[in-house]
Amino acid sequence: MTIATATPMLLHRMIDEAALRHPEHPAIRCDGETTTYEELARRANGLARVLLATGLERRARVAVLLGKNPRVPVAFYGVLAAGGVLVPIDPRSPVEQVTRILAATGATHLVSEPERRQVVQQALVACPEVSQVVGLEADDGLPFRCQPWSTVFEEAGDRPPDVPVIGLDPAYVLHTSGSTGAPKLIQHTHSSAMSFVDWAVTEYSLTREDRLSNHSSHHTCFATFDFYAAARAAATTVILTPAALMMPASLSSLLERERVTVWYSVPTALVQLSLRGQLETRALDSIRWVLFAGETFPEKHLRRIMRQLPGARFSHVYGSTETNVCTYHHLPESGELGSPLPIGRACSNARTLVVDGDLRPVPDGEVGELLVRGSTVMSGYWGEPERNRQVLVRRTSAGDLEETFFRTGDRVTVLDDGNLTFVARADLQVKVRGYRVELEEVESALLSLDPVEEAAAFAVPDGEGSSAIWAVVVAGDGAASSREEIASAVGKILPVHAVPAEIAVLESLPRTPTGKVDRNALRARLAAGKGQNGG
Amino acid sequence: MDFVRRELLSPEVNVDREDDLLSGDLLDSVAVLRLAAFVEEEFEFKIQPADFVIENFQNVAVLADYVQRASGR
Repeated sequence: MTIATATPMLLHRMIDEAALRHPEHPAIRCDGETTTYEELARRANGLARVLLATGLERRARVAVLLGKNPRVPVAFYGVLAAGGVLVPIDPRSPVEQVTRILAATGATHLVSEPERRQVVQQALVACPEVSQVVGLEADDGLPFRCQPWSTVFEEAGDRPPDVPVIGLDPAYVLHTSGSTGAPKLIQHTHSSAMSFVDWAVTEYSLTREDRLSNHSSHHTCFATFDFYAAARAAATTVILTPAALMMPASLSSLLERERVTVWYSVPTALVQLSLRGQLETRALDSIRWVLFAGETFPEKHLRRIMRQLPGARFSHVYGSTETNVCTYHHLPESGELGSPLPIGRACSNARTLVVDGDLRPVPDGEVGELLVRGSTVMSGYWGEPERNRQVLVRRTSAGDLEETFFRTGDRVTVLDDGNLTFVARADLQVKVRGYRVELEEVESALLSLDPVEEAAAFAVPDGEGSSAIWAVVVAGDGAASSREEIASAVGKILPVHAVPAEIAVLESLPRTPTGKVDRNALRARLAAGKGQNGG
Repeated sequence: MDFVRRELLSPEVNVDREDDLLSGDLLDSVAVLRLAAFVEEEFEFKIQPADFVIENFQNVAVLADYVQRASGR
């Protein structure tokens, strides 16, 4: 039996399709164990049946609170097959964050596991709407009903439940870190997710022989590539365990053993792998694509890892949780990389526009804000109609019809060769005593110094209507550089007004769950250290 | 053991010799680096990069074994 090509492809149907064609093929690898596509499909169906049997309504939200393990894809596809909306929660969230996300999305069901029992109990105290939990042992003392994972396995079967879902139906809601207040909740439909997935499969020629590593936590948009793009090609997703992620030499060994072919992460993870992963002692010729996004990749680290992985092509992709990947740039295999690295051209399913403050297009070569239109753009922020009106703007086109664009808040320009390049995040440009300073230039200057491994700069209001620049650096092993030496060296590179007023040497930079530098946490930490408040 | 308890974990968390240090729930990657630095200072030897692997840091018991072998004590 073949599935009619006219049937719209939905996220959970990819698993059924793969289970039909390649039942024995590994879908998931984790800690040396395999879940085949047939097993994944059967278990996901089992979970879907349990959710429906416990009253899950169409489009109701099902939160998922799991560690980084093979239950995750079962939970993802099970919720989707049941017609629910998936809300994956960062397993490292404090209890208050879990409660906030549950309450904001009005989740009625939660999928978790015994290891998280305490957090679940505490979080649900303030969430009476969550009446059913899958993954904990039944307990008469709890105010919610529980179905253990064993029930899911008992209900596992070949037939998915008969739940009508269309492409435009919401599929999942992802949350951002919330380090600056309430997390943003970003909704995507099956269509917007599949549009990204299909682009990725085509652009990187994914086949079922591919093995995609899953580096980022499953609550991030990076993971939507690792899991869903793999499923589209009936390829294998290799979950990188927390232990491996903490020990770069073990991580490189894992990549070698598992013959990973495609990697996607923030640059910082690749930097650690390059510096501490003992790559010269590993055979990593299986890696054919390395995708990175989310932050600047310091050229010295990028060049080193390109030398260490000579068989791999490198792809700089750009996008956000709101848009998925919307532009991309495959790095030339030799020669000039461009500084900054271009973010490239729009994906085949996206259109980009660079506009001024009045949302009017600017000529090529001028700097403006990047707008994105395309089928991978989010539905909107959950529960924030006003913010949606601000970021999803309508432009009138021929026939007085309106098209929706997403305001990225990023400032870019189009280069002579047609590539887009990043100029600055709108919030990373500051005025110091009347002079405009790009914080990323300050960071670049610091990184160009040999002993500096990582650097972050941020602005602190100086109480006189202007800002001062503070910076923190992480020095490499054995580097004996002092603050004074670094400050003096960077003073020779940067114009006077761009030289940081304060430089601190830390052992590490605080990061958000996706691995990006958490500038607000930095600012708070240094301000507290100097006995100042933010104002 | 005391260092792990005192410096790296919040006071109410109890850790035994066999508890998994690398599950992601106890320590983060920075804490692991600090543990390594402490071990190097306390026992006066340098951890070879090739030894900075899961097998030697999984729990306090294996770490203690590694330290004994590597520092020659």
